[in-house]
Amino acid sequence: MQMDPGLHKGEGYQYGPNPKQHYFSPYSMNGGTVLAIAGEDFAVVASDTRLSEGFSIHTRDSPKTYQLTNSTVLGCTGFHGDVLTVTKLLEARLKMYKNEHNRQMSTSAIAAMLSTVLYYRRFFPYYVYNIIGGLDDEGKGAVYSFDPIGSYEREAYRAGGTASSMLQPLLDNQIGFKNQEGVTKVPLSKEKAVFLVKDVFISAAERDIYTGDNIMIHVTTKDGTETEVFPLRRD
Amino acid sequence: MFLTRSEYDRGVNTFSPEGRIFQVEYAIEAIKLGSTAIGIQTSEGVVLAVEKRVTSPLIEPSSIEKIFEIDHHIGCAMSGLIADSRTMVDRARVEAQNHWFTYNENMSVESVTQSVSNLALAFGDDDADPGAMSRPFGVALLFAGIDDKGPQLFHMDPSGTFIQYDAKAIGSASEGAQQTLQEVYHKSMTLKEACKNALTILKQVMEEKLNSLNVELATVTPAAGYKLFSKEEIEDLIKDI
Amino acid sequence: MALPTETDMSLEFWRNGPTPGGLYNFPGQGTSTKMGPIKKTLSPMVTGTSVLGVKFDGGIILAADMLGSYGSLARFMHCPRLMKVNDSTVMGAGGDYADFQYIKSVIEQRVIDEECMNDGFQYTPKSLFSWLTRIMYNRRSRFNPLWNTIVVGGLQDGEPFLGYVDKIGTAFKAPSVCSGYGAYIAQPILRNALEKQPNLTEQQAKELIDQCLTVLHYRDARSLNKYQIAIVTKDGARIEGPISSATNWDIAERVGFFDE
Repeated sequence: MQMDPGLHKGEGYQYGPNPKQHYFSPYSMNGGTVLAIAGEDFAVVASDTRLSEGFSIHTRDSPKTYQLTNSTVLGCTGFHGDVLTVTKLLEARLKMYKNEHNRQMSTSAIAAMLSTVLYYRRFFPYYVYNIIGGLDDEGKGAVYSFDPIGSYEREAYRAGGTASSMLQPLLDNQIGFKNQEGVTKVPLSKEKAVFLVKDVFISAAERDIYTGDNIMIHVTTKDGTETEVFPLRRD
Repeated sequence: MFLTRSEYDRGVNTFSPEGRIFQVEYAIEAIKLGSTAIGIQTSEGVVLAVEKRVTSPLIEPSSIEKIFEIDHHIGCAMSGLIADSRTMVDRARVEAQNHWFTYNENMSVESVTQSVSNLALAFGDDDADPGAMSRPFGVALLFAGIDDKGPQLFHMDPSGTFIQYDAKAIGSASEGAQQTLQEVYHKSMTLKEACKNALTILKQVMEEKLNSLNVELATVTPAAGYKLFSKEEIEDLIKDI
Repeated sequence: MALPTETDMSLEFWRNGPTPGGLYNFPGQGTSTKMGPIKKTLSPMVTGTSVLGVKFDGGIILAADMLGSYGSLARFMHCPRLMKVNDSTVMGAGGDYADFQYIKSVIEQRVIDEECMNDGFQYTPKSLFSWLTRIMYNRRSRFNPLWNTIVVGGLQDGEPFLGYVDKIGTAFKAPSVCSGYGAYIAQPILRNALEKQPNLTEQQAKELIDQCLTVLHYRDARSLNKYQIAIVTKDGARIEGPISSATNWDIAERVGFFDE
């Protein structure tokens, strides 16, 4: 995926039976992790703020969360060019919906629309991992997770992006009470959720070079969204 | 009456010096030749009732359809040119399904009406849009449905103008029927009362004697959605009026 | 590129030269007849190396050397890679030089067109950056990329702006920005300096950039000790140079293989 033209210099001299041909790749992986947790009357959406390519850090201040409406936040990682495009497209579609139907889009409607947006590019996909967090029509916490071509489902919690494989099992254990015996399944409080988010990101930043710098945490309730920035390791 | 209009009443793309597009106004006139249709909105749901003009005993009454299902939560009654209404109902159905496909939610009654209004305005005698009609639609529509705002009734005329009503009559006897509606309507009317009122008014204004074959009646309720009444159900209602 | 009849032996014999009866093959030079008449930049030809940029108190500075490389050949020694767009906006580009010249001409024409409107509107750093991001992304989506990494800098509403966009539409803003080898060599120096002192003076920024370019010149084989800088402050935008930094090669003779 490394497409820096500087790295290809000198390849012209590599005569051999199998000449190296370099292709243009329209994608790159810019890393980053997103996470969303649904509670009874709240939703937490968080992402780290590191933008990388290969072994370089482009910037330490690039949150992957996007406030779509008062009650919906999107986490979006993958190829940053597609992230920029998809989020800009969504913003436009949100405004168009509001103009056409005189109301704000619900979290479930945004999720359904995003699915179609992604699937319309089935054969040249947006290389993005999306997770939507927010409140549903009844005011309950809602999380929707997507694959890059639009398959989606509603869940209680989901991690996405480069460290998703590290976060998800931890969440399964701590929120889903998986592989625990004789536990009382207490409903998740807002404070516990935010606390967990910080913990799992701190752990992920230890192992995943694409996750670090800061976490941006959005807590959405009926009163709106509160945002918190929490530092991670920067190496 | 129309003598002064002669110069400006042919094209649909020319305003008269007084600022009118006559073809649109003529289309609105055409509605007044159509069969009467009534819509009443109550807190329990909306009712649509239309008269069918069964002009010959050899007509199969059930083949005359003037109330359509747009989606499970929206119905539509028409007056005017039936064939024109089919095009508009088709559009309404497509838009409603498109909205559901994209957003996985019911399209609001107002939005459906708006989308059909866009079609109503897309006439013109140029070749710019090959799919468009060359003249205005000769149809008035009543959209009845349930959405987030509760039961809703919208009226749309051939100019594409649409307005929300508590109760509205269209068609040849609309003036008298509207007058009666104004007298009988009250906010706490039940759906059953609304059905009976609609049939009563139709009975008053229809030339033929009202029976279960020459009226159509449908309700849209939060529980059952769109429901077209059967012959027997209408008979039951007629017994009560 | 590869001739089907070639054997490893013949290649051994003709190492560092063209194949018998063949021509010099430079990188990206496709001689395949399968190529259609449509020309696309699927690999860069004449290229520029890193572009550096850093914010300072009340402005930004951009820098790029003036070498146009043809593969590993230092082909053109006077290639300006910085562009002044207007009094508040500048940009610089690495990658394919022809593509940069194309972008430059398009922007220049657009600036003239806007000037003709005479409505006081002009591109701001943010609007130019956003526009460039869309151009780069759209071209990559049509598989016809503009093979550049572009740094946009300027001053908008009194705030310094620095942005980066590459040939596939990856774009971001940052206090310091480096493309190409600069990302590996200059960026750590710039970040280190900014961590110690987030608000540099213009003079400090200039010295910092000079230091980075010197190191790059030592380490980047496609660089040249002749560069330009672009500075934007509230007093306007200017491009300075060519500048050469003072180098010191004393250490060279201590390196073992140097005099072998």
